[in-house]
Amino acid sequence: MRTSITRNRILTVLALAGFVVFLVYAQTNWDAYRLRILNLCAVYTIFAVTFNLIYGYTGQFSLGHAGFAAIGAYAAALLTMSPEQKAANFFLAPIIPLLRDVEWPFLPALLVGGTLAALASLLIGWPALRLRGDYLAIATLGFSEIIRVLFVNWQRITNGSLGLKGIPDHTNVYWSWGAALVTIFVVKRLVDSSYGRALRAVRDDEVAAQALGVRLFTHKMMAFMLSSFFVGVAGGLMANLISTIDPKVFMFFLTYQIVGITVMGGMSSLTGSLVAAVLYTVFLEVLRPIESPFDLGPLHIPGIPGMRMVLFSTLLLLVILFYRQGLFGQREFSWDGLLNTLARLHRRVTGLWGRTPPPSTVEKGEQ
Amino acid sequence: MSRKKVLLVWLTLSLLLSLVAAGPVAGQEDEIVIGVYEPMTGPQAAGGELTMQGVYLAHEVRPEVLGRPIRLVLVDNRSDKAESATAVQRLIEQEGAVAIIGSYGSSNSMAGGEVAERAGVPVMGCSPTNPLVTEGKDYYFRACFIDPFQGRVMAKYAVEELGVEKVAIIQDVAQDYSVGLAAFFREAFIELTGDAKGIVAFTAYQTGDQDFTAQLASVMAKNPDAIYAPGYFGDGALLARQAREMGYQGYILGADAWEAPELIEIGGSAAEGILITSHYHPEAELSPASQPFVELFMEKYGERPSAFAALGYDAYMLVVDAIERAGTDDPKAIRDAMAETKDYEAVTGTITLDKNGDAVKDAVILKVEDGEFKYVGTVKP
Repeated sequence: MRTSITRNRILTVLALAGFVVFLVYAQTNWDAYRLRILNLCAVYTIFAVTFNLIYGYTGQFSLGHAGFAAIGAYAAALLTMSPEQKAANFFLAPIIPLLRDVEWPFLPALLVGGTLAALASLLIGWPALRLRGDYLAIATLGFSEIIRVLFVNWQRITNGSLGLKGIPDHTNVYWSWGAALVTIFVVKRLVDSSYGRALRAVRDDEVAAQALGVRLFTHKMMAFMLSSFFVGVAGGLMANLISTIDPKVFMFFLTYQIVGITVMGGMSSLTGSLVAAVLYTVFLEVLRPIESPFDLGPLHIPGIPGMRMVLFSTLLLLVILFYRQGLFGQREFSWDGLLNTLARLHRRVTGLWGRTPPPSTVEKGEQ
Repeated sequence: MSRKKVLLVWLTLSLLLSLVAAGPVAGQEDEIVIGVYEPMTGPQAAGGELTMQGVYLAHEVRPEVLGRPIRLVLVDNRSDKAESATAVQRLIEQEGAVAIIGSYGSSNSMAGGEVAERAGVPVMGCSPTNPLVTEGKDYYFRACFIDPFQGRVMAKYAVEELGVEKVAIIQDVAQDYSVGLAAFFREAFIELTGDAKGIVAFTAYQTGDQDFTAQLASVMAKNPDAIYAPGYFGDGALLARQAREMGYQGYILGADAWEAPELIEIGGSAAEGILITSHYHPEAELSPASQPFVELFMEKYGERPSAFAALGYDAYMLVVDAIERAGTDDPKAIRDAMAETKDYEAVTGTITLDKNGDAVKDAVILKVEDGEFKYVGTVKP
């Protein structure tokens, strides 16, 4: 057992090193289009992983992601923009003096964004986490809309519906994937700890968990705030990636997208969230040519805008029909599982297509 | 196993399909690629669709420039900001667009503009009217006028032609478009009348509101000669109905986003007499190019062109004109030629681009009469 743990550690370190090499390669060699997609993958990964923490692991159906992302995005944007850009942006009503001349580096701006989002989640979580199921969903959805409406009306802080532009494009793959890896690491460590088991207990049965001595409110609050913190950071990354934001970006549609990705990947599977987020972002781009006119043999197919959304919806439909639990269900990626699968494949190939009994064992290894 | 097979088959099929689709496009060597990014799906799809009618027609009329064929590549931006940025990036990197047209919705255009600016590819906006779209951008231009101008036009018309002395403004605080127009209308109105008290009320609603009675009651207590409500047509129709039902007798003024058949359908008799500013009307002889366009459009689509279709047509023609004058397909040269656009006879008027890249041209005033938008007059910049 000890050797396999060491082996897995080494493999993890190697994989991480490989990934870093890949990021360096991508940042220096890829064109801006691919880099943008790679960055978006990371942002959506953070969104999905954090939603998984609050819903998949803790069982609290919160629909406040868009609101927290908005807080993080606006904080990071206002803190990193240059005073000249702010002056140009706020042409209807001047910005409040407090924010007028600040121009921070990226990291503190992101952290402030995350912290503000976490504080906001404390405010909303205090009353709302006492609610369950649908009621919590409604309360958090309402909260996220309140944030948006506030941002529309705070003309002198957020420039209202005119939005902000000229946000410095600090986000590159190191920032975005760095943040995504930290998020995955922290969430993974949390859900594997005793706190994580308590969270799952809360999810499965609140009364039983309470009877076993789990402090419901504290645990829910912790998961909620942690998740909001990273959502805020992801919002900041997004703002500095597309370099312009306005309150319309943070409509509830963003939350639904995140829920969709997470459900597709599988509740309580971080691997699932990661894979689904990357799949979602990459696939929508890969499928783009379908919308332009093309020839399929003798058939001329005219371009139909929205075709890729149709194809994508069928994918979601297939996943829901055949994989009720999402692509990964509750399973996580593990080196043991991967090696087992590889060994099985190897056996099958060397067995010259010989029928091996169907592998029914589910790979469910610990990391 | 069968589930996995279904999924696998689906994945391979759709990937194959996209490969096939991507395949034969890059055919001709000497073609010039003009990219278009518009909302073809999502909440703004209707606007994108109208714009594309004009762009397609323009492409049919002028399919080549500098003796080389033009390939028009449309990418959908899903009415989404992040997607707009990706779309423009794709047009530049993957499709090799030397110039770009788009997008309906200022929010989308601002996201696309940041990308185009960095890549150094010129963009011609068709209908984004938020001043921030071209502000500080060397590579963003537009075929339409901007909100400040439109607000000023209506203020001028209200003061000089209608003799309005007291006006109430109801803005949609969630729309940059509406906030901008309201602010500039107010500024111009005060400037023209010299009377800050002439603005008797300045109130707001949110996109999606259905009930305007509270705002209207407070506004009507001030007894204004006119109500200026520069929002979208759905809100406008409801607002007009509720105002008339509450016994309001004065003028109701709106802006170009009210120019939709729905304003009249929903508004019914309450819509009669509404005055709006707009970019274009088929009857307005804005330039010698107007009439031939209307005929061509009727022939192709069997209906009268909307302002957005006209702007889409103009945006394409302005881009082609710039490429022709540049004499090359180098984006930088096209940009320089575009910046020098002067007295171009477009469908929506004679266009000169100012130093910000915004079109300076006439606006038209339309009035709803007998269930139709009638042309009332033209206001010069």
